[in-house]
Amino acid sequence: MTQEQMLEQIVKQVMASMSSGSAASAPSDDVKVTDADYPLGEKRPELITSATGIPLKELTLEKVLDGTLKAEDLRINPKTLELQAQVADSVGRDAFGINLRRAAELIAVPDARVLEIYNALRPYRSTKEELEAIADELETKYSAKVCAQLVREAAYIGYKRKRTKEFK
Amino acid sequence: MAVNEELLKSIIADVVKEMSADAPAEKPAEAPKAAPVDEGPAETLVLTPDGEAQKGTAADEVIIGVSAQFGAEQQNNIIGVPHAKIMKELIAGIEEEGMKARVVKVYRSGDVAVIGHDCAELSGSGVAIGIQSRGTCLIHQADLPQLGNLELFPQCPLIDLDTYRQIGKNAALYAKGESPNPVPVKNDQMARPAFQARAALLYLKEVQSVVLGKKPVNMKVSYK
Amino acid sequence: MRSKRFEALEARPIKKDGFVKEWPEVGLIAMNSDLDPKPSIKVEDGKIVEMDGKKRDDFDMLDQFIADHAIHIEDAEEAMAIPSIDIANKLVDIHVPRKDIIKITTAVTPAKMTEVLGYMSVLEMMMAQNKMRARLMPSNQCHVTNVKDNMVQIAADAAEAAIRGFDEQETTVGIARYAPFNALGIMVGANCGRPGILTQCSVEEATELDMGMRGFTAYAETISVYGTEQVFMDGDDTPYSKAFLASAYASRGLKMRFTSGSGSEVQMGYAEGHSMLYLEARCLYVTRGAGVQGTQNGSVSCVGVPAAVPGGIREILAENLLAACLDLECASSNDQTFTHSDLRRVARSLMQMVPGTDYICSGYSSTPNYDNMFAGSNWDAHDYDDWNVIQRDLRIDAGLQPITEDALVEARAKAARAIQGLFKGMGLPEITDEEVEAATYADGSKDMPDRDVVADLKAIEDMMNRGVTAVDFIKALDKEGFHDVAQSIFNIQYIKCAGDYLHTASKLSSDWEVISAVNYKNDYHGVGTGYQISEERWKQISDLPWADDPETI
Repeated sequence: MTQEQMLEQIVKQVMASMSSGSAASAPSDDVKVTDADYPLGEKRPELITSATGIPLKELTLEKVLDGTLKAEDLRINPKTLELQAQVADSVGRDAFGINLRRAAELIAVPDARVLEIYNALRPYRSTKEELEAIADELETKYSAKVCAQLVREAAYIGYKRKRTKEFK
Repeated sequence: MAVNEELLKSIIADVVKEMSADAPAEKPAEAPKAAPVDEGPAETLVLTPDGEAQKGTAADEVIIGVSAQFGAEQQNNIIGVPHAKIMKELIAGIEEEGMKARVVKVYRSGDVAVIGHDCAELSGSGVAIGIQSRGTCLIHQADLPQLGNLELFPQCPLIDLDTYRQIGKNAALYAKGESPNPVPVKNDQMARPAFQARAALLYLKEVQSVVLGKKPVNMKVSYK
Repeated sequence: MRSKRFEALEARPIKKDGFVKEWPEVGLIAMNSDLDPKPSIKVEDGKIVEMDGKKRDDFDMLDQFIADHAIHIEDAEEAMAIPSIDIANKLVDIHVPRKDIIKITTAVTPAKMTEVLGYMSVLEMMMAQNKMRARLMPSNQCHVTNVKDNMVQIAADAAEAAIRGFDEQETTVGIARYAPFNALGIMVGANCGRPGILTQCSVEEATELDMGMRGFTAYAETISVYGTEQVFMDGDDTPYSKAFLASAYASRGLKMRFTSGSGSEVQMGYAEGHSMLYLEARCLYVTRGAGVQGTQNGSVSCVGVPAAVPGGIREILAENLLAACLDLECASSNDQTFTHSDLRRVARSLMQMVPGTDYICSGYSSTPNYDNMFAGSNWDAHDYDDWNVIQRDLRIDAGLQPITEDALVEARAKAARAIQGLFKGMGLPEITDEEVEAATYADGSKDMPDRDVVADLKAIEDMMNRGVTAVDFIKALDKEGFHDVAQSIFNIQYIKCAGDYLHTASKLSSDWEVISAVNYKNDYHGVGTGYQISEERWKQISDLPWADDPETI
């Protein structure tokens, strides 16, 4: 990038962050969006906060450098994924929307546990019972209903097809 | 770019090249290699079942996990190198480092990662080599994910006997807890157009002998 | 006595390629196999109870997943009743819009789509591909790897690839444990070339997710799915574990696509007697059912298998088209060597270059092929000018543009210095000025000094145990004076937080606008519609620096 382009980029970002200061209210649960609002980060930034509740426009390089923002402050918020799922619905991508809703549920699950559950779902790793216990955990501990349903289906068909740990 | 600068750069590049070419010489000289065992008439590898393979307890054990038709229905790798010679090199590589080889046949899958990982879990040291009849092989360790590995040699037409020897040696070094320099990875982008369809054919034959759910079996090694 | 003509022909590169005759019983057949299931569907109480000749009770894991997740059940019986030849005609007909076709294709079964495509010629499929591509404009992706896993060279090659036009870049490893360094090399290097390049590092599934979560990568693509249950198991996954993995990626704000391709089931020994296209259709329905936005397909790494049987290259085009028909982003392979013949490799790629796909190559090798750790690409760095001239000859936009030597040196030097700074700032093993110099002017790893591999691997282990994230990379780059690069790495995290780039067929512009099939829909409906090359873009493509200029000659 040339110096000029860099300068231009910085000016753009500064201006964008200034304009967001006067932006509309915090996201409320009853906001519905469609492809007309997309990209949300550009057209509806006021609807987006990070996982830790920081408004999108307040996420800046400077705050990362001075230590105000940590890695977890840059993570996506479940509400953002719900909004993106609505955009997906509006262009007829229902299965993609469901994936984003499962993803929204998984934000609450710690990285290490997500990796463990993924590994537990792989062939011959878990018994039917162990998978059902994971489904219960997802549902009760993390309110991850859509994910729990997927794990239950995996337990059922995995056992039926002899691809669970009982058959290793 | 100015000519002087170019000249300077080429000089620097030459110096760098020379330095890097010199580097290996500064390392302690390696122990003289045993004579390769690939001389003499081609032998046939005979693998005789010796009971269900159990988890080993000896820390100096490295398992060589072989696929269902290795040393049986198939006797040569994809470019015609006899399994007998490959087996001798792998074992020699392991023994060269003072470790012991155990040969185990895996039936439940023909996949090299499954063979390698299953055997790593059985290996007293936690390290195993996995090899298919066509010659594809890897070095695996029990605590890695199945599709991870310590070293992978995916292009079987490019693995020569010397490389098999080094693979055996490196597997032994990992088993001893050392961090050896990985065996140089050979790469030839023309291996696929020339060999992929044949590799598929050999594998299609291999999996005719795969038995889902069958436990791995220890194998006694002999040659005739 | 031998024919001299025959001897001359035997010496041609094409004679080194492997070919095999069809063996349909083990799946060695591209498409149009008599052994493929006949399309059928039966719905009871909103549930598919029979699909492609199989009863629900006999469903394997793939059937079950597809029946429950991938097919619009409410439209299924009506769509299945349309004769396959009629659907094929709609695909070619410019008067039938993309969205009308998607309504049908997402309500039918894998065997039905296999039958539809079986009627079509490559010419008809290319017409359909032009209309069905998800994103308005095509794009391109490259591989950036080398035999030595040298991250300085990766950074330099990535920067050059960025200014040549690749919007996405992918690395992988020779030695698996090198992955974090290679991922840093490509991310930093690419974004030195131009801000807004998405990068990935292809390694084992769980490791790849872990690196994504920490900000070493921006997306993932080598999440493999397979067309038979047994091969899926050998790939160490199930449709359900892969669907969960897809959600795990999105939950961390990471874009991802699945990978599949014909020949893998044959290659892995369990094609169950079905054609390559039918099995790939199953993969793509699983991908759709998992709610993944896209796929990398087109045989990919098993291309030697379809390419060895009759009609194999037609089948590869058919599977790319099928991905588009299921409303998926398609990164259409063209990324693996399959022939010794230059004629043959161009003919194969024209199928995607001419109509355009979302990513024409899912790995054009940005290095000489000897450094390509995906076992060689169909196109490599030494073909850059050929690719550019083909674009210019045909007036097509296949994603690249010519550059000058000065621009190349500038981009490579900056990237090499930035990765040097990042390593210094993070206390990683030194990258010397000699390495920076070598990477700046290198063609391949033969021009690079060796690194202390054992020290690098030790440092990687320590670094990963420290739990570093993108925040550490950003701080280190800034501390060492690479403020604009730090800004770009930060912007990638910002984009992840907003989530827009999770959508179908996304890429980023150099000023960080998200461009996807949501805000740039393919609206082709006849001559002069859909994506048109702008004046400015045509100048970029057509302006060969070495062409004679009538004004100055």
